[in-house]
Amino acid sequence: MSAPLLRVDDLQVQFFTEDGVVRAVDGISFDVREGELVGLVGESGAGKSVAVSAIMRLVESPGRIVGGHIEFKGETLIEVERGDDGESYRTDATIPDGELRERIRGREIAIIFQDPMESLNPVFTVGGQLREFIELNRDLSEEDAREEAVRMLREVGIPEAAARYDDYPHQFSGGMRQRVLIAMALACEPALIIADEPTTALDVTVEAQILDLVDELQERYDTSFVWVTHDMGVVAEICDRVNVMYLGEIVEQAPVDDLFYDTQHPYTEALLDSVPRPDETVEELNPIKGVMPEAINPPAGCRFHTRCPDAREACKTTNPDCRDVTDGVTEHRAACIKHDAFETTYEGSPPLETGSGGGFDVSLSGGETDD
Amino acid sequence: MSLLRYSGRRVVQAIPVLLGVVAITFTLINAAPGNPVEIMLGPSPNQAAVETLKAKYGLDQPLHVRFWKYLVNLVQLDMGRSIYYDAPVTTKIAQRLPQTILLMVSSFAFAIATAVPLGVISAKRRNKPTDHVTRIVSLVGVSTPSFWIGLVLILLFSYNLGVLPATNLVMPWAHPSNVTGASTRLGVLYVAGAHLLLPMLSLGTLQMAAITRIERSSMLEVLSDDYVRLARAYGVTERTILRKHAFRNAQLPVITIIGLQLTTAIGGAVLTETVFEINGMGRLIVSSISRQDFPVVMGTTFVFALVFVVGVILTDISYAYIDPRVSYGDQE
Ligand code: SF4
Repeated sequence: MSAPLLRVDDLQVQFFTEDGVVRAVDGISFDVREGELVGLVGESGAGKSVAVSAIMRLVESPGRIVGGHIEFKGETLIEVERGDDGESYRTDATIPDGELRERIRGREIAIIFQDPMESLNPVFTVGGQLREFIELNRDLSEEDAREEAVRMLREVGIPEAAARYDDYPHQFSGGMRQRVLIAMALACEPALIIADEPTTALDVTVEAQILDLVDELQERYDTSFVWVTHDMGVVAEICDRVNVMYLGEIVEQAPVDDLFYDTQHPYTEALLDSVPRPDETVEELNPIKGVMPEAINPPAGCRFHTRCPDAREACKTTNPDCRDVTDGVTEHRAACIKHDAFETTYEGSPPLETGSGGGFDVSLSGGETDD
Repeated sequence: MSLLRYSGRRVVQAIPVLLGVVAITFTLINAAPGNPVEIMLGPSPNQAAVETLKAKYGLDQPLHVRFWKYLVNLVQLDMGRSIYYDAPVTTKIAQRLPQTILLMVSSFAFAIATAVPLGVISAKRRNKPTDHVTRIVSLVGVSTPSFWIGLVLILLFSYNLGVLPATNLVMPWAHPSNVTGASTRLGVLYVAGAHLLLPMLSLGTLQMAAITRIERSSMLEVLSDDYVRLARAYGVTERTILRKHAFRNAQLPVITIIGLQLTTAIGGAVLTETVFEINGMGRLIVSSISRQDFPVVMGTTFVFALVFVVGVILTDISYAYIDPRVSYGDQE
């Protein structure tokens, strides 16, 4: 198998707030291969958005990438090591800021944000913004970039694209704006598109249209995607492989079918139980019990043990890493000590009482916004 | 096109505002105790003389008749005659208005020209020394009254150093023969500038400080907006982000503040004119109120209201020019 397009290794991002250090992303690893659509799924606050913004070093202060290695097409987008003094610093292998901006941002990796209403600049025309990014990232003349912009608007299904080129964002609906942002991402012909909950702010019908559009375009352009979402329905519809995140860690990693039909982690199971599935009829949906703890003060041991229905005493002391749990039959990793791959005392350990208090509905569609 | 229509609508909307101003001032002045005739004729006047004078200035007619007459005359640019100066009010205002306009326009120009770059730099270097200095200076600026600044400036530059004049204004377009110390057009400009500098600083500092503060916070806010993050993610340089993607949006609250500052500036102009002994509208209105010179008070108030309304219309139009949501919303 060829080297992956993007490889994220032990990424750690922390926010240095007045209340203390928030370990928003705490050592996650995943990769994206060419032409693949990889999902990053979890509840709000799991650290998904922070994780993907670290890929292009777009984490904003007071956040900082304090560890890990991200490689894209053989280039080191970031490599942070801890020095002898305990301070983390970038290694020389990390490409400089200017080069990252010129060669990677937009050109190789593009991004689509969650809220299409806020992502376009209200004082410039839609076409003008599209043209600017195309011009910048594809070395086209202004005229060619303009033509390309109109073509892309047509491509993503904007009716009367040429006429709407000079319209302002407020003259577009939310769904249409998200189409524009998809056009923007594709028009720069990147190898990878990061989609940060791009359909969360849209209503269900529009979401379905956008997902269909992405499906179709992805095939045609053969672009890879990292798709951030909290919605298992979206995952089922478009992802090839999935990473499930909980409190800054990846707890399960599997191809989409295995994740749904051979679930290995109690958290994933809980997520799946909390949303309706077309393939199963259940009496009622089971929201996950309790609320996700704050990343500023995560529980010791397995971070999910405060809400896990399978939790036992042993879970309070061991924080499992994400490892292969199917003996290499499939690429399926999970971070849960009930599996044989972890040699722990789980079997003999007494069960924990968990999930007191009100239920917490993880997600149907929409509703949640902030990550 | 839509901008033009929007502007037209704003101008039309201003008419009732001006009408309201006239009505309120008119009522207030007439409700105030005492009348100019009594002041003119002293404590125990001859009854016949009172009647003649009242008839001369139309004070013997009922209020609504006088108000209607006033409006009809106002439309023809006739504001009546000043009781104290015994001259048409319009003539008096024409003498005084240029000084005040010069003072206000120059101090706003000074304020905007310094505050906008300062605010942007301050936002860009957030929490760095430049930012701290700017913030302290602007905080002091907004909390210092303009007349005090004026007095300190006079003390320093006129009294102690003797480099700048402390009184009066010279119009830059005046003829050299009417200006002491100047023999050429250029000389007039120089003298005018020297006279203008201190009053401009004293009136403009408050504006500058207020605009700097809003410019900074507005830039900071815009810089964390999604479309700025998006531009950054697409490889746009920080410089272009600052100048293009963030700057324009950030000016919207700034424009609003500039519009609001116009009221403070009018009040400040009255004080500044007093401190620097400038014969402008501010001093005219103050002295006319104490003399109960009704027509002049009415006239000057109206002109100040007009200046204010024009200023507000200008801010509204610039707002619409920057933000397409305003001018386009007008079409629907
Ligand atoms: S390790 Fe324990 S607490 Fe964590 S997911 Fe597995 S069973 Fe639940």
